[in-house]
Amino acid sequence: MENTDPSLLPSIIFTTAAQLVDCVDKKLLVVLRDGRKLIGILRSFDQYANLVLQDTIERIIVESMYSDIQRGVYIVRGENVVLVGEIVTFDLLLTYFNSKDPEKENSIPLKEVSLDEIYAAQQDEIDNRRRRELTKNSKLIDIGFSIDTQQEDMY
Amino acid sequence: MLPLTLLNTSQGHPMLVELKSGETLNGHLVNCDAWMNLTLKEVVQTNSDGTRFFRLPECYVRGNNIKYLRVPDEVLDIAREKNQQQREEQRKSNQPQRGGYNRQYSSGGQRGGYNRNRGGGNVGRGGGQFQRGGRGTQY
Repeated sequence: MENTDPSLLPSIIFTTAAQLVDCVDKKLLVVLRDGRKLIGILRSFDQYANLVLQDTIERIIVESMYSDIQRGVYIVRGENVVLVGEIVTFDLLLTYFNSKDPEKENSIPLKEVSLDEIYAAQQDEIDNRRRRELTKNSKLIDIGFSIDTQQEDMY
Repeated sequence: MLPLTLLNTSQGHPMLVELKSGETLNGHLVNCDAWMNLTLKEVVQTNSDGTRFFRLPECYVRGNNIKYLRVPDEVLDIAREKNQQQREEQRKSNQPQRGGYNRQYSSGGQRGGYNRNRGGGNVGRGGGQFQRGGRGTQY
């Protein structure tokens, strides 16, 4: 039965990306270097960890708020992937959080808000980060450091 | 099917390409290669803030600048179908040879056969595709 399907990768050849074999056809959270969080079903991948995601949503999370956007099929270039993780079903999560904190009835940490709200919150966050960065840079320059203009990873 | 196979299948379809810089390109895929280099036509380019738009009749993207691509849902189904077809064709053309002259050292067949038997590994597949003479049929 094994290896009759030529689209299946023999897991021995690859030591790293091959670990994704177990994740195929499962619902995954993929975090990209720019901070984006994609939730979708992994349909295939290759040795560079290029990923094919189906029925993907992009989830924007700011502090304790989140909002989802329907996106569809993604081909993600492996370089940009920070992490890939399987998503535990919501029920399990719920029991987990409730068992950790039986005092609180519903302690799922995130609250869903509208897209407009999340965009506003996200913009605020970006502005804040930029301001912090500027202050930090000017302080660093004051004490004689040179500043790296390259954008940092956002995740 | 592999990500790059899916990309090949997307030729002729509209797609959205986001570059690492955050710029996006909306256009029809004309061609692509194993490095994910793309040529697109009828492109709308958007700057990273999404505030400015440019219309380009065609453009070339070097693969290393790509963050991700978004393709239409149908493309997955099309790719799956093609994959199935190809596999059936292969089975038909290869089965009689298996354990036959492929295993004995007849020059041409042996090479491809070896690669094919390693089964689906990327390297093996690449070899296999040539052996099928499948370039033409593949796209």
